[in-house]
Amino acid sequence: MSASFSLPRIRTLAMATVTQLLRMKIMAFLLVFCVIVVAAGFAFPVMNPEQQLKLLKDVSLGALQLFSIVIAVCATALLLPRDLEDRTLYTILAKPVPRHEYLLGKLLGVLILIGAGLVLMDIAFSGVLWLRQSLVLAQSVAALQQEGTATPEAVAQLKEFVGRQGLTWNLHLGVVAIFFKAAVVTALTLMISCFASSTLFTIIIAFLVTILGHGQGLIRDYFLTGHAGVVKKLLSALLAVVTPDMGVFDVVDNVINGETVTPGAFGFMAAIACTYLAGYAVVSHLLFVEKEL
Amino acid sequence: MSAESPQPPAVTVENLTKVFKAGLGKAAFTAVRDLSLTVNDGEVYGLIGPNGCGKSTTMKAILGLVTPTSGRTAVFGRPSTRVESRSEVGFLPENPYFYKHLNGLETLLFYGRLCSMSGKELKDRAREMLALTGLEDAADRRVAGYSKGMLQRLGLAQALLHRPRLVVLDEPTAGVDPAGSRKIRDLILGFKEQGITVLVTSHLLEQMQEVCDRVGIMAHGRMVREGRLDELIAVENETELVLADASPELLAEIRALVESRGHGARVVRSGHPRTTLEKLFLEVADQ
Repeated sequence: MSASFSLPRIRTLAMATVTQLLRMKIMAFLLVFCVIVVAAGFAFPVMNPEQQLKLLKDVSLGALQLFSIVIAVCATALLLPRDLEDRTLYTILAKPVPRHEYLLGKLLGVLILIGAGLVLMDIAFSGVLWLRQSLVLAQSVAALQQEGTATPEAVAQLKEFVGRQGLTWNLHLGVVAIFFKAAVVTALTLMISCFASSTLFTIIIAFLVTILGHGQGLIRDYFLTGHAGVVKKLLSALLAVVTPDMGVFDVVDNVINGETVTPGAFGFMAAIACTYLAGYAVVSHLLFVEKEL
Repeated sequence: MSAESPQPPAVTVENLTKVFKAGLGKAAFTAVRDLSLTVNDGEVYGLIGPNGCGKSTTMKAILGLVTPTSGRTAVFGRPSTRVESRSEVGFLPENPYFYKHLNGLETLLFYGRLCSMSGKELKDRAREMLALTGLEDAADRRVAGYSKGMLQRLGLAQALLHRPRLVVLDEPTAGVDPAGSRKIRDLILGFKEQGITVLVTSHLLEQMQEVCDRVGIMAHGRMVREGRLDELIAVENETELVLADASPELLAEIRALVESRGHGARVVRSGHPRTTLEKLFLEVADQ
């Protein structure tokens, strides 16, 4: 007798998904990312210290976002249709595997891959930022010494300034926010692939909804406060309902500018991400359980 | 004193109808109409019929892969809609594909884990199945490099991995060469000896004839004939007598006897029985 919910089975499906994506050379993105980070870290040495560090953070966190969203959409969109086309799905679901376990395994697999990729890229990014920060500090202290203004107070002030613009725990919270956003996009894409007729359709719709989701706050405000006609109101209401509010996870700019992510704000992001994940997972199951194979 | 409840059949299909909805403006398609069949424990049941007659849909309904529009299907008494019904079933789909990034052994380990197998038991069983299907030497090769016949045998290995009591085979010999096809036939006969129930579809009717206890013939989504194979194919008013090393004189005597004392019986034909092209191919290939 098989249990209707088995963690080992979900883990098996998740690890198979990770292996499948890894062997599709999807992590080649990591190499591209490292090249971008190193290039951003050591380019434009004529800029002032603040600009140099800001540029590095800007480019690196931007690349992290791009990596996570592209993987979330493309990798997830490939999984279900490919299993269906290859009839691998038949042999899996002909075993005592409930459909919700199959979906959870796929979702978890993509999330593990994105999470691991982000951790590796965060480590690379942190390393380069720390190196750059040390270099900038040493150069600035040397410049102060040349000018004869390297008083202990001035050096301490400089260290504090560079430290604030350099590597902080806050930056890692920004990376976690990027993961939350990617997780929501992954769950959304999985849901779309449960009813989509092709991989291309899934990718296009998922990207479209993700882009619209970044303006969901505006769409919502338009519906609540705008004075448009009934059609525009209905359209904005529909868009506000079907798109996730991606703006909630947009803390990267704040992090780059040295602002602190409060525990409350972080908890709010985590709660919203979990709600979206759960909601999309439930809808995916409802769609998938009815799917004729 | 309690009376023992009778063992439920391996497969029960009762008044199964499956209608596939079509897109907007298109008519729905009825793949299976009011189909009923029973596969008893330990028998080999062949489901045959032309392409598109509803065989695969029936199999999918039995496996819970499609939901019946009406009627019910059950495996060992458990409704197919319940996941538990699949715990004692092994399924080989037509032209199976597996994750190309895995090798043969990894594929079996993956499917074994889905059946809640683990550790040494799983590894030993996977090796055993690779040996049974003749894939030992290809165990470490990626599935992407497997031939059609090898994929079919790997499919059979994954279907048997968890020691199922029922094996469902959809066109198990499709695309397989005669030697591979014969091997699969022998495996099915082996299942029968072990008491494993087999539900099989195939277009190779000669092979079906060799392995099946009962057959059902489907057309246009309906069961048109069903019964024990020997009863279905017997020509009621003819009797076959096969002689070895019979002289022409003896044959002439038999003919004369039939004509003189036959009471209406007559010799319809005589001559040398033909071997099959498959048997000839296998003999030549073996040499």
